[in-house]
Amino acid sequence: MKSGFVSKTVLFILLIPVTFFIFHSCEMPATGFDDVEDAIFYSKDQKADVSQPDSTIRIMTWNIRFGIGRGPWSIDACGNRVTFTEAEILEGLKNIVDRINLVKPDVLLLQEVHINSTCSAYVDELRWILDHSYFNYAIYGSSWKSQYVPSDGLGRNHECNAILSRWPITEAKRIQLVLRMDQGSLVRYFDNRYCIVKAKIAIPDFESFYAVNIHTVAWATDDTKKKQLEKFKDVLDDIAQTGNRFVAGGDLNAIPPGSDSTDFCIEDMCPDESFHHPGDNPQHKAGSDYTPESDWMVPLYTSYKCAVPLSIYQSDQQAYFTHTTRPTHFWDRTLDYLFTNYRWRDGSVITHQEFLYDSDHAPVSAEFVLERK
Amino acid sequence: MSRISIFYFLLFLSGTSVIAQNLSLPVLEKWSCNTAFLMPAGKWESGIFQPLRYGLNKKLEIHSNAILLPLIPDAGIKIALGSRGGFVFTSDHVLSSPTIFLKLVSRKGIGGLISPEFDFPLIISISNSIIVSKPVGSGSLLTGYIGFLFAIRGYKPNPQSTIDLPLVYQRMAHFYEGMTIRSGISYKGAFSKKFFYEEGLQSFIITRSKNNFFIENSGNLMWAAGRVVRLKGGYILSYGKYPFGTHWQLWPSIDLVFGSRI
Repeated sequence: MKSGFVSKTVLFILLIPVTFFIFHSCEMPATGFDDVEDAIFYSKDQKADVSQPDSTIRIMTWNIRFGIGRGPWSIDACGNRVTFTEAEILEGLKNIVDRINLVKPDVLLLQEVHINSTCSAYVDELRWILDHSYFNYAIYGSSWKSQYVPSDGLGRNHECNAILSRWPITEAKRIQLVLRMDQGSLVRYFDNRYCIVKAKIAIPDFESFYAVNIHTVAWATDDTKKKQLEKFKDVLDDIAQTGNRFVAGGDLNAIPPGSDSTDFCIEDMCPDESFHHPGDNPQHKAGSDYTPESDWMVPLYTSYKCAVPLSIYQSDQQAYFTHTTRPTHFWDRTLDYLFTNYRWRDGSVITHQEFLYDSDHAPVSAEFVLERK
Repeated sequence: MSRISIFYFLLFLSGTSVIAQNLSLPVLEKWSCNTAFLMPAGKWESGIFQPLRYGLNKKLEIHSNAILLPLIPDAGIKIALGSRGGFVFTSDHVLSSPTIFLKLVSRKGIGGLISPEFDFPLIISISNSIIVSKPVGSGSLLTGYIGFLFAIRGYKPNPQSTIDLPLVYQRMAHFYEGMTIRSGISYKGAFSKKFFYEEGLQSFIITRSKNNFFIENSGNLMWAAGRVVRLKGGYILSYGKYPFGTHWQLWPSIDLVFGSRI
């Protein structure tokens, strides 16, 4: 009788973890995503006043490199650091918000925003930017969410694409992009899962429109990037075919057609690397040779209106460069874009090249013409 | 939860027999690890994850994690302190050094659990605990323990060089700051001559102002496949305050245990 009571007691104890497991889903080593799923919403309790726009609003896209500015991150800048302190991250975020307050975009597309990562001292950067800016709403879709990346000391990693807006955001979705197939399955499991984030913005007295934010793969050595750009266009085509307007952009990691310089292996080379010489393996640095990709952006330019029209870019390419890998150098290529299927106000586009040390990307902004109801 | 509390309290109060340091319980013949009972003199057992244990004599047992020894050298000794009122008392003392392991995993590339920008001093970890076990009925064993861990080191490692993983973080906490007070309770029993179970709960309290509390619940089943081989499997459910926030984690556990015939 005693042993029966004991057995029941032990079984009862065993129920405790089962119950907790049911109610508290435990985190997998790396998080996978559905093809399409809801994005995550952030909002502020005390909303900032929003003045009614006249006929245009400013849209800006910016890859903020998780607030480390031009810091010597070992992963993308031949640097010797992987983690940054909270003080460093907050200083970087403050600089970014100061720049945002200068430009005053109404809708902001951000890439490489960290939510809870080891290398950025677990600062919830999107929450910080939202709380320290005039934006009232934000959504994000995770592009990288691993409990622990067992490589390079990256540790816990949670990175996202985000959309911030003065006005309410609805229908926010995260759309998965194709994963890299040039990696082993274990590396691919823990690595970045690039995505598109799409949401509807509603402004009183104007037709609502979609904001679409993308960050494509940087270092794939196969055609993953091409497929991701094709998916991006598919998403935009779907919006356009339903009669809706969109503003779309982000870090596409692709250079415009007709660019004078397409191979940046030497510029991006780290001191212990060698490229382009006989016997070098690989011959080109991953993510630095855009020569085979020269026409990958053509479908987007053909179908939609880039804030920097292709002819304008080709007439003065350097004026529209938005990225460099070298911490002390000026921008040397264009990777960041804004597109619409409606109208940009002529002459409104600005490539903010003067924001030289706030990220390894310069933001791009332009005024989107609103459609009155 | 109140039924369990009352049950354990009644068990501790009962003490009708004096149990010597011998393996008269079937569960102790196969599963004396993590109890106050020592390996019999001249006998040994080890697991993939469980430390290698060797009984020196009736009063002393030595142990070390043989597989991790090249990376985390460690040596432990368990000392029988006698018994009273049915309770068996043992103390356990372990010296280890994680420095080789920490330096190995702070690197670029795959396997880099810690950023290579961090360096580590020589760290000596010292653990001392008291273990108390009491047989329950003819087939079960209740064990409680409490101890403390602290580290002797040249300097405090950078707090951003921690491995922020459940189960790992709390066991490394005292390398960085504070002392860890570790306590727990476990109950082992037998379903049959070959099948055994264990349910346990342990806590880690770190003497510092943050990221200082962790609790783990574990459950295991063990199958004595043969006289010298045992298969063990179960779960570990952990909860704690990590640098990234509070976190629950459920992980499976598995081990293969082998050793001398007893």
